[in-house]
Amino acid sequence: MSAIREPIVVAEGISKSYGQVTALTSLSLRIQPGERVALAGPSGSGKTTLLYLLAGILQPDDGQLYIDNRSLSHLQPGRELSKLVGIIHQQYDLVPHLPVIHNVLAGRLGQWSLFRSLISLVWPQERQVALSELAKLGIADKAQERTSHLSGGEQQRVAIARVMVQSPSVVLADEPVASLDPARAEEILRLLTELTTSAGKTLITSLHSPYLIHKYCSRVIGLRQGQIVFDLPASDVTEAVLDCLYNLNEYPDEELVPEVS
Amino acid sequence: MGAFLWSLTSVNWGGPIIHTGGGWSAIQFLTALFPPDFSPDFLAIAFKATWQTVTYAVAGITLAVAIGLPLGIIASGTILKESSPWRTPLIASTRLLLGALRAVHELVWAVLLVAAIGLSPMAAIIALALPYAGILGRIYAELLQDVRQQPLQALRAAGASPLRVLLYGYIQMALPDMLGYSFYRLECGIRAAAIMSFVGIPGLGFQIQLSMHDLLFSQVWTLLMFLVALIVLVDLWSTRVRRSLLA
Repeated sequence: MSAIREPIVVAEGISKSYGQVTALTSLSLRIQPGERVALAGPSGSGKTTLLYLLAGILQPDDGQLYIDNRSLSHLQPGRELSKLVGIIHQQYDLVPHLPVIHNVLAGRLGQWSLFRSLISLVWPQERQVALSELAKLGIADKAQERTSHLSGGEQQRVAIARVMVQSPSVVLADEPVASLDPARAEEILRLLTELTTSAGKTLITSLHSPYLIHKYCSRVIGLRQGQIVFDLPASDVTEAVLDCLYNLNEYPDEELVPEVS
Repeated sequence: MGAFLWSLTSVNWGGPIIHTGGGWSAIQFLTALFPPDFSPDFLAIAFKATWQTVTYAVAGITLAVAIGLPLGIIASGTILKESSPWRTPLIASTRLLLGALRAVHELVWAVLLVAAIGLSPMAAIIALALPYAGILGRIYAELLQDVRQQPLQALRAAGASPLRVLLYGYIQMALPDMLGYSFYRLECGIRAAAIMSFVGIPGLGFQIQLSMHDLLFSQVWTLLMFLVALIVLVDLWSTRVRRSLLA
């Protein structure tokens, strides 16, 4: 990525706490378009909070967030926001009773009129868009099946198809492979990075496995106690660095100086 | 438990008023079961009466769903933004309306409507629909509130407005239970339609009344069997519809 390009994601001094518990402390970062960023860090380090803030699901207590130069605090959720960011959750969060095709097309609900959303339940609209994403994910044959009949890995593919149909500039993924076995986890991550990269999207995902981080991400941000501990190209992140991040004793508190790129 | 014991003490049990000829009547009624009246002429009457009762019940419950569904959706608060100043008053007044509708029994509604409209099938259908709309609306609201929240959040994150979240999330997830409960209410509606004969609608209840007056107990048994068979059929139908939705 060249230095002249405008960053797609900018966070300036964002803080978030839940009552007494501080989740993020004055965090700042910049992400260039097309980057594949892994967020690493132990539970409670603030990864999910950061992703939810970027998705506009939560609002920061302090600081500013910009996506594609638009301030998130000034964007109404819905049409505008859904073009900028989309999110995939650990638990897929599909509507189990709907056929797969409708869960995928739910990615278009931010753009469709209410009338179109309604008739789509009977005559699926933009069917080809959904089928082509499902085909890239290898599950085009499941389009008419009830979503709850699919396996965990297949449901995560449906969730990826939904976010690709939504087609936001930035795709966020909250522990996308946490509930899958290693082989399926790698397959899902391969598909997620391939699809987002070939569509020119920016990917930010929480991820723990050093192997997967090295293979599929371009940059790693290490979070601990709501602050950035390191921010490095994926190739520079050794297992020792990640071990330090997850090991409770390695970093005494006074060394927790945020390193912001 | 305490409330139950208290309720017992507050009932005025009064002195026994025993119907001295009752024992004889009961024996007459029971022996008439062997056999019930299955003559072709009477079966034709019973089938027609059953069909009429079903028609009134279905019309009444359909109207009840048409009224109860929108009210239930409003009362559930699922399409009202958290920040909206109208949210609390609108939910409270809708809940009050639903409560008022179901506080009055269908027979009382029937008496009121017969006074207002006259002896007509329309009065019976509306009398059935109003309290059932109150019951259905309240249950719909609760079923909508109880669905899993995470898929709804995912829909909102994809840019879906409250009405779209309702269509794609709430309704889809609550539908099997909403349908199951509506079918159960159809059963209750059939029972209620059968006893609404006194406001002038024909059907099983009317025929039972006629046969009772003529002391033709074997006919009464036949009609009761039709009523039971009808409820069983609705139950089977309901199970089948629910299963096809869940499969």
